[in-house]
Amino acid sequence: MTDTVPTLSGVGIGLRQPHYREVFERLPELAFVEVHSENFFLEGGASLHALERARAAYPVSLHGVGLSIGSADALAGEHLAKLKRLVDRIEPALVSEHLCWGGIGGVHFNDLLPLPYTREALALLAERIDHVQSTLGRRLLVENLSAYVECRDSEMTETAFLAELARRTGCGLLLDVNNLYVNAINFGFDPAARLAELDADSVGQMHLAGHTVVDDCLIDTHGSLVCDPVWSLYAQACRRFGARPTLIEWDTDLPALDVLLSQAAQAGAVARGEAGHG
Amino acid sequence: MAELSQFQADFAAALRERARTPAMRRWLAGDADVVDRRLAIYRANMVAAADKALASACPVTRQVVGDEFFHGLAREYQRGTPSTSGDLTDFGATFGDFLAAFEHTRSLPYLPDLARLEWAVHRASGAADAPDWDAATLAAVEPERQAAIRLRWTPGLAVVGSRFPIVRIWTIHQPAHEGEFSVDWDAAETALVARDGFAVRVTACSPADAAFIDASLAGGALGDALAGTLHDHPAFDLGALLARAFAARLLCGFTS
Repeated sequence: MTDTVPTLSGVGIGLRQPHYREVFERLPELAFVEVHSENFFLEGGASLHALERARAAYPVSLHGVGLSIGSADALAGEHLAKLKRLVDRIEPALVSEHLCWGGIGGVHFNDLLPLPYTREALALLAERIDHVQSTLGRRLLVENLSAYVECRDSEMTETAFLAELARRTGCGLLLDVNNLYVNAINFGFDPAARLAELDADSVGQMHLAGHTVVDDCLIDTHGSLVCDPVWSLYAQACRRFGARPTLIEWDTDLPALDVLLSQAAQAGAVARGEAGHG
Repeated sequence: MAELSQFQADFAAALRERARTPAMRRWLAGDADVVDRRLAIYRANMVAAADKALASACPVTRQVVGDEFFHGLAREYQRGTPSTSGDLTDFGATFGDFLAAFEHTRSLPYLPDLARLEWAVHRASGAADAPDWDAATLAAVEPERQAAIRLRWTPGLAVVGSRFPIVRIWTIHQPAHEGEFSVDWDAAETALVARDGFAVRVTACSPADAAFIDASLAGGALGDALAGTLHDHPAFDLGALLARAFAARLLCGFTS
């Protein structure tokens, strides 16, 4: 839990099934590929084989969407055991989860639901992250969330909450720049000021993605190009924290692989320009 | 965790039942109408996640009823049988049973069995890869010890019985299907689902073969499975089944 210096550098893309064939044929230059951990909680078969093939060509980042570490329910031991099995099998460069909860009372919403940022929640999350890190035997990255509602009872900002979690547990942070921007618009705050709440050493990875605008709300759909304000916030983050392994994340309305590669190239150029290296 | 736990319980109730939204408002910043609209985004996400998971497990069922109707089925199924796991691969195990009891799909009586077949395919696709095995080791078992052995079928192997031609229906809906699309609606088919390398094959098998495989999958010794099968299907030919099983690599070992 001491590897504060990222072992990866550069830009990767989310590897999704419709691109498998083309990625394996072309083997484009990428720092890493990232997949959703839960999609590979399998015993065997074609999907797992494809991930092992990807792992032979690239470092892999495992990004969890279902561990629900912030739930007041007990942590799902079986889920964590499956993650552990996948981590042992794939030997990923990065393992991440979200600062969220996904289910309560035994019912799961399979969504990333926001938490109240209270001392009570902080104590629970710190204990959970300690447990996850000791089970996996490695550092976990925890990602800031995009949200559409915010809790009245929060005692601190999400970024201050994450910074404190990192101090207490030694976990790293996955700064999703699009999520920070989405929340800044949805809740009306200055995203650049929030960057100042994070310690550079704790930031282990960044995410870039597109969102959708519906009425008065930005929705984190991961289905479009990274927008200009997010590029600019990313540049500020690179300036402040240095270049970090960065992901182009695209999940819905998947475009041609070249679109992702061109977004990745743009991210690399921004990081090099702002941090002096990429 | 009194506060956190109540916050999450109220949030969950508001997502599952729109009428419970007012109790959630007190936790959230912003005007009631904005909060309600924002909660509706999460409610839509919840149904979309169920739809996506079921569509991934049951693509043919979705093709048969159409995307829009399937979305409604996903919403109804989730209402009664919400996900209990952070891994959506587990969601949908009882979708076939739900369809069997759902009045608006009664005009498609084969739909429940089709969904059960697709669930078996879904499970098989992520089952463990079969270990290498030399079938000659089975032939080498001394005759007097044969009845006691337990066959190990390839992981994910399943049989799905039906009064309807589910194998044919499934087959003609596969993207790679070539040829004509006729269906003999009077044919009752039992589907045998098995991994072959990384592909999942669906073939028709006889009710006798299915009975033997079922008994054997349930852990029965070969002798008991054989006796039970012969009781209901006197013409059952174990030698012929095993020959087909070897050829199709359906077996991956045995314990004696």
